[in-house]
Amino acid sequence: MIEKGKISALQMGIMMYHAIIATGILFIPSTVYEAAKQDIWISPIWACPLGLLSVYIAYKLHKLYPNHTIIQYSEHILGTFLGKVLGLVLLLLLYTSVSVMIWQYGEFVVSEFLPHTPKFVIIGMMVLLCAFAVHGGLEVIGRLAEMVVPVFFLLFLIIIILLLPDIEIKRMLPVMENGMMPSVKGSVALYTWFAQFGIIYFFLPFLTNREKGMKSGMFSVLVVTLTLMFTNIIVILVFGSVTENFNAPLMSATRYISIAEFLSHLEALVMAIWLAGTFIKICVFYYAVVLGTAQWLNLSNYRSLVLPVGFLIGVFAMQAFLNSAEAAEHFRLVSQGLMDTLVYGTMIPMFLFFVAYIRKLRIFKQRGERER
Amino acid sequence: MRCMKVIGLIGIILFLLTGCWDRKETNDLWIVTGVGLDQPKDGEVEVTVEIPSPSGNEGGGTGGEGNQAGGNETILQTGKGVSIPKAIEDLETKLPREILWSHTEAIVINKELAETGIREELDFFIRHPEPRLRSYVFISEGSAKEIMALLPPMERSSSEVLIELAKSEVLMKVTLFDLLEMLKGESGASILPMIDKLPPEEGKQPLETIAYINRSAILKQGRMIGTINDRLTRGVLWFRNEIKESTVTVKPEEADGLISMNLMKGRTNLIPKIDGNQLKMTVKVETVDDVIQNKTKWDLKKMKKHKMLEKELAQKIEMRLTDTLEMVQKEMEVDILDFAEEFRRKHPDKWKGIKADWKEIFPTVKVIFDIEASVLRTGQGNVP
Repeated sequence: MIEKGKISALQMGIMMYHAIIATGILFIPSTVYEAAKQDIWISPIWACPLGLLSVYIAYKLHKLYPNHTIIQYSEHILGTFLGKVLGLVLLLLLYTSVSVMIWQYGEFVVSEFLPHTPKFVIIGMMVLLCAFAVHGGLEVIGRLAEMVVPVFFLLFLIIIILLLPDIEIKRMLPVMENGMMPSVKGSVALYTWFAQFGIIYFFLPFLTNREKGMKSGMFSVLVVTLTLMFTNIIVILVFGSVTENFNAPLMSATRYISIAEFLSHLEALVMAIWLAGTFIKICVFYYAVVLGTAQWLNLSNYRSLVLPVGFLIGVFAMQAFLNSAEAAEHFRLVSQGLMDTLVYGTMIPMFLFFVAYIRKLRIFKQRGERER
Repeated sequence: MRCMKVIGLIGIILFLLTGCWDRKETNDLWIVTGVGLDQPKDGEVEVTVEIPSPSGNEGGGTGGEGNQAGGNETILQTGKGVSIPKAIEDLETKLPREILWSHTEAIVINKELAETGIREELDFFIRHPEPRLRSYVFISEGSAKEIMALLPPMERSSSEVLIELAKSEVLMKVTLFDLLEMLKGESGASILPMIDKLPPEEGKQPLETIAYINRSAILKQGRMIGTINDRLTRGVLWFRNEIKESTVTVKPEEADGLISMNLMKGRTNLIPKIDGNQLKMTVKVETVDDVIQNKTKWDLKKMKKHKMLEKELAQKIEMRLTDTLEMVQKEMEVDILDFAEEFRRKHPDKWKGIKADWKEIFPTVKVIFDIEASVLRTGQGNVP
């Protein structure tokens, strides 16, 4: 096997948690607010089943081919040629997806913290750092993710506690003013995030306790849902209708904290959470891309691909969008349903699963006929 | 090979040393504490910034108008332009250092500018990542520049006076965030503290005085349409459940003097009700007061007198609220009392029908008062 390291199911769950939450806690509230208004905290509940579905399908496919990742078993299921084509499509989607993530990271750091630093430096440093982690292998990423968890929850808790003096319950009311639809519509944007759970198909073969893979995946989805609900509730309680004015409401809320006049300007806390999370997120996707590419090319070792792929996604990330309006247009389209993550996270696995299922049925049928 | 690796590693480490790109040394910065916005003529904005001088003896030799009198150490500088960013660009050409906006805590907007609309101007303060949402916003009667130029005898700068005044919550206290919320609210009405120059004491320089909050400006859709005086402002504060400081003086009919009471606790609940086509709002006020002056011969420790006093207090508050309502609801017809939000929250379904005609409906809302006033401490003794 190409990857020698092993991670536990829990580590996988934690990795996925960071991979979703890192960008989620910052950008989800304002993205969802457009449609859901004060009901943004309900939206994660509607989006959660998609995450569960993605995990379920990835696990089912894993059950059929326990030692292979999606790139390998798509060849088994569809035949070599079609399988390779599908693998290529999947990889291209992953490449663009990870580039957009890195672009988001760079853009956010530049616009909120370091306006004069060239983006090249910010993106380059992140990619380089992730390259080291990816080169270390899956085990390294798994342990890093585990290490970040307590820090993440502690800081998250601190932020929420410090925001408590500024909340006002009436900003959340009336709940479901226009019925259920706004929050359901808002949840469409969340599919982008929840569909990303599908990429556990790259990690399931490397678990030490495979039977727990689904359980910890589902658990991760639920914790993500809860975290998003908490974030959205606190944002709406602090900002109410002003939420839409902020690019990253949680960040602005933290900036808004002012206790006894000296405990203020705490946005560095969010930045710390977010940087650690984004680092894991990029590592997870970067690793998936590298591993997938190596398997697609039938290489015996993926490590030689780490730097070239890093260079590629770094350059992609630099060129992803010309300006914030173009990016906004892209994210608007994405949140309306044109999602790449939905394709690679849920749709492609689902398609593969159905094909595999039908072929299996036919094999059983043929066998039955022969026996008769 | 090994040599190459070492060189490569050093190269990578050098790449990491680019760290402090965005460093800002304090001696390269002008820290702005207050901003004044004026409209010298139509379509032009004048931005005045107040900057505490880094050291007392540096003086105004840096290009600004130095204010060194009376131990004050602030520097004023103005810039003009068609928009705030343009004006700031103009300002930057006159300032040798970079402007740091993150400590801006007072924003003073001139009345004329407020009358043409502040919504567009505020956009700058929200979009810019530095100014804080907790900055206090004021409307000034005269020019904002003049307010900024004042030399308060005690505080270090004029904006500091304003911040402290707002914090005391005697009259309106509105932060940038509150203002945004009001502008986005269902009613589209907002209220801001209005400041004016206190006439200087005799024998003092004309600028040696402070600005103080004496009225409130009422804005409709971001445009200032009028003002209300301090008494009515307190009425509005009662309605909005923001009352913190208030002194009520009553003159009971049977008594021969005045009794003054100080507010200890005041809470207002607005309970909206829709009866067919008639909208009703019950204003439930609970208040606890202490007697601070008794000029009558009443012995307030007697239960009977105590009860009478409580009744007087409730009546007095009701009178104030009715006056406020008369002005705001009947005369100005602006919903700064948050009635719209209350109806929306309580009756979201019916609100959809009302929303479009709220402007016409608001003056017809029937208001019922339910005031529960109690006097907690009456103190000892009487007028000797």
